[in-house]
Order: sequence, then C-alpha cells, then structure tokens
Amino acid sequence: MQDKKPAKLSRRSFLSLGVGTIGAVVGVSYLGLVGDFLNPPPAGAAPLQEVGKVADFAVNTPTLVSYQGDGIEQGVYVVNLGSEGWIAIDFHCTHLQCGINWVDSVGKFMCPCHGGVYDIKGNVLSGPPPRPLHRRVIQVQGDSVQVGGLST
Amino acid sequence: MMKWLNERLNIDALMASMFEHPVPKRSNFLDYLGFATLFVFISQAVTGILLATKYIPSADGAWASVKNIDSTVIGHCVRSLHSWGANFMIVIVVLHLLRVFYEGAYKKPRELTWVAGAILLLGTIGLSFTGYLLPWDQTGYWATVVGTALTSYMPGIGVYIQDMMRDGSVVTGATLTRFYSVHMLILPAIILLAFGLHFFFVLRQGMSATDELTEAKHRGEDIEKQSLPFWPNVAWRMILTVAVVAIALWVLAGVFPKGLGDAADPLNKAHFIPQPAWYFFGVYQMLKYFHGSMDIVGMVVLPLVFVVVILALPWLDRNPSRLKRKRPVALSVAALIVLGLVFLTYQGMESVPKPLPSGIVAHPSFAANIEPIFQSKCISCHGPGSVYVLDNYKDVTSKNIVPGKPDSSKLILKLEGKIQPQMPLGQTPLKNDQIQTIRNWIIDGAKNN
Repeated sequence: MQDKKPAKLSRRSFLSLGVGTIGAVVGVSYLGLVGDFLNPPPAGAAPLQEVGKVADFAVNTPTLVSYQGDGIEQGVYVVNLGSEGWIAIDFHCTHLQCGINWVDSVGKFMCPCHGGVYDIKGNVLSGPPPRPLHRRVIQVQGDSVQVGGLST
Repeated sequence: MMKWLNERLNIDALMASMFEHPVPKRSNFLDYLGFATLFVFISQAVTGILLATKYIPSADGAWASVKNIDSTVIGHCVRSLHSWGANFMIVIVVLHLLRVFYEGAYKKPRELTWVAGAILLLGTIGLSFTGYLLPWDQTGYWATVVGTALTSYMPGIGVYIQDMMRDGSVVTGATLTRFYSVHMLILPAIILLAFGLHFFFVLRQGMSATDELTEAKHRGEDIEKQSLPFWPNVAWRMILTVAVVAIALWVLAGVFPKGLGDAADPLNKAHFIPQPAWYFFGVYQMLKYFHGSMDIVGMVVLPLVFVVVILALPWLDRNPSRLKRKRPVALSVAALIVLGLVFLTYQGMESVPKPLPSGIVAHPSFAANIEPIFQSKCISCHGPGSVYVLDNYKDVTSKNIVPGKPDSSKLILKLEGKIQPQMPLGQTPLKNDQIQTIRNWIIDGAKNN
C-alpha cells in the first residue's frame, strides 16, 4: 500500500492564490476608499452657529433665520414655544423639499409647490407631505440662540 | 505615412474590417442615429472641456463664472452649444433606442450591444441631471433639490442615498462639487467605456440590417445587387446625416442662446417654484397622480421598473422573431408607453405657471386671461386632489363668484385681503392689474369664454 501524501500546492497554484488574494485585498481597499468618500456627513455634524438673541424671537412666532453652512445660506425657522421650549425647523417641505413659508394670518407653515400644510411644530396638517418637518439642533445658551445641523 | 503605419500596425486590415462590408440598399438615415449621437457626444466633450477651463465649481463662484462665460459672444456660443447639445443627446439617443427596438435589433445575438446602449442612455440622463445644477441658478438648484429628494422615498436606504448624492442633508456647495466631479469624470468615463463596448459589438457583429445579406449569401444569392458598399456610399450618407444634425445644433444654439436665471437662492426669497428640464416633465407630471402612500409608486417603483426593463429587455422579450407582424404585443406596449410619455410631458409642460402679461384687460376671456392667473398663482395648492379645487371653470365660479358683482365675490375679497387670510397664502399678493382684470371678467358676467 502506498502512503497517502497530502496534496502538494504547486508553485503555480501558490502564485495564483497569492496574486488573487493580494488583488482582492487591493480591490476591496479601493472600494473602501470610494465608500468613505461618498459617505455623507452624519446628521447633526454641522457646528452650532449663533442666529440671534433670545429677545429676537417672540413666543409662538416662527422666525426664518439663515444658517451659513457648506458655502450657502440655509433656511431655518426658529420657534420659541414659551414654556414648551425652543425648536428649530428645517425649512424644506418633506414632500419634495420646496421652501416652506410661515403664514402669520393662519398660523401655519405652507408649501407653495404642492400645498403641504404644517402646524407651528412642523406636524403635517394636510397635503402630500409624508412626515413632519425635519428638526435642527438648537441650543439656547444664556442670551444666545444657536442652531446646528439636522437633529437625529 | 500610411505605409509607415501599415508596416507597424497593419492599418489596412483594420480599415478593411471597418469600412469594407456591404449594407442593404434600403438602409436609411434612421440607421445612422447612433453615429449622430457620437457626433453630439464629441461636441459635448469639446464644449464641456472649454467650459471647464473657465468654470468655478463652488457655490460662491459658479454662477458668476457662468455669467462671465456668457459675457463674450464666443463664450455664450460655447455654453449654448453645450446646453442644446444636452437636449440633442437625449432626443437622438431615445430615437436611436426606439429605432433599434422597432427593428428588433436587440435580440440574439445583439443582447450585449443593447445593454451597452442602455448604459449609454442612463449615463446620458445622469449627465443631464448633474449638468443642470452646475450653472448654480434658481432653476438648476431647485430642480436638484426636488430631483434628489425623490430618492429619499426608497424604503430603508432612501434618505442615505439622497444624502450621499448631496454630500449632506441639504443641496449645498458640497453637492455642487460632487455633481461636478460626477459630471466631468465619472459619467464620461462610464460612457466612454460603454461606448467602446457598444462600438466594438457593432463592428464585430455588423448592424442588424446586414443580417438579411448574410442570409441571402448563405442561400447562394448574388448580394451585390441587393446592397451598397459601406465605403463610400453608406459612409457618406452617415456623414451627411451628421452634417444636418450639426447644422441644426449650431442654428438652434445661435438663434436661441441659452439664458442664465437668477443666482441660486437656497432661502428662496423670491418664492421660485421648481420645475425640471423638459425631458423630466413626464415624470414630474406622473408624480401628480400618486398621492399619499402611493407616492412611492411614482417616485421609486416606476423609475426602477424603467431601469430594469431597459437593461434586461433582450431577456424579458422572449419572442425570437424580429418581424414586426410577429411582435404585436411588444410593439403595442412600446407604442403605448411612448404615447403616454409624450402626453405626460406635454401635460407637465402645460401645467407650469406661465409668465403673466402685465396691464389691465378690459374684456378678458376665461381661457386667455383668467385661467393663466389661476394656473400661475393658485393651483399649486388648489389643484386636483386638494381639499378646495380651483383648477377648472366650474369650481372657480360655483364657489367664489357672483357674476356681475366683483365686490360680492369671495374670490376678489380673498385676493384683496378683505377676507383673511389673503390669497395666495404665504406668497406675494396679486398685482392690482391682475385683480382688476379678474374684476372686469366678473363684471362681464364671468363667462366660460
């Protein structure tokens, strides 16, 4: 009887396996680089910026302030809800992201594109929007009202 | 020179394989649309590179740099050629696709040619979409806001994909940089690759129209009488087709130069209402028919179905025949889709608010003078499906008008703010001229004229 010898890895197979492994690792590394570059910044990563003083914002009167981020002025409604605290509402309609307007006479946010209507806290009252208006990070430090990126 | 090259590269054999084959006599200009697309793509590449030498891809500099390009005759001409070229690309690529579909040329053995062509179509649409933002004007900015927002309706990964396209949650300077690199580097690279394959397949397999000659040859027929040589006869027809396309492109770019809207205002202080490029108006209009939880059908399902069907058509259509009379279902379905898209595009373009003429009209008609005001100012909220519809004569008059008495008509009282809230809600009130025109129409009896 002949002894069973373990299958020998030929030089050619070893080379193929080695080059294949290195190729796969390099390929995956490039994919990782692509993934990292395409990955958007996390919500709320934008730094807080002062947009006014507490006295600038009357109770229950949303005020549109601009927030400088990524080279553009971004629209944020700051709402002083009195005893309920403060909220900052991103001014893009959640339907197709047209800019919404606060209409004082009816006390609602209206979207001019497809007629979305929201209450003062950004909850949907009527129209096509699928979800409430997005909130932004807001902090009131002393007299200073500061707004940041989207809150998670 | 040719001899020198021939000794090294055997150019004669290459040229012979490309140019020395017979083509059926019935070959017509519709067979040359692919070649016309190649011309327009080269024109886009040349004008695009020229624009890139002066364009500043940043939120601060983009609009001003485009304005600067437009400030010289040559610069404006180059930008017009590029803009019109984008429209030509879409039109010619789609016509080419329809022609190939009609001829059944996507069937075995040319499945891969079709797939490469489908990638070219999707790449062309991608180039149009990304290029639209680059002037950083109101039209491009808000079309991009809405266009990228559509992806957020995909369940689960939608918001991530939207943020990935924008490089953030909002369309900002970072989005512009991203779109610029995709427009300038990624999509052209994909298109060149797909074009190389597409062209290689066509050369290797021949145009589908030549199959009938091959079959005739197999039957032992003399194909000389049924065919023309590709060079020079057919090649010159192709060149002539391209010349006509080139002249049309230059004439349109010269006669209707591309304008530049106001600079992008992400706060939209002027209440600009977004609208897409004309070739996306079909989708834009279709979305209006899907409300509430059905939104996802128009925004995600149908576009994905379109992409899958376009890419997989050779395998979805199992009918092996290329004869038109044996493909009634495929041709009928395609005709319905094309007619539907044309109709939706027309409807979408019609529904966009038109600029309103200034001045008071003494005896206005509903169709010519009053309805455009409603279209422009009211139906975004009071359109079909809304709680208070005002998009047709019956609804307008039955709820709001007392014929002959403007001061008793709710419409006038609302427009003038005598009944709060004043309309249009949250927007600039109508001009006095426009209100007076509506008053005159009511005084005349508020007729449906």
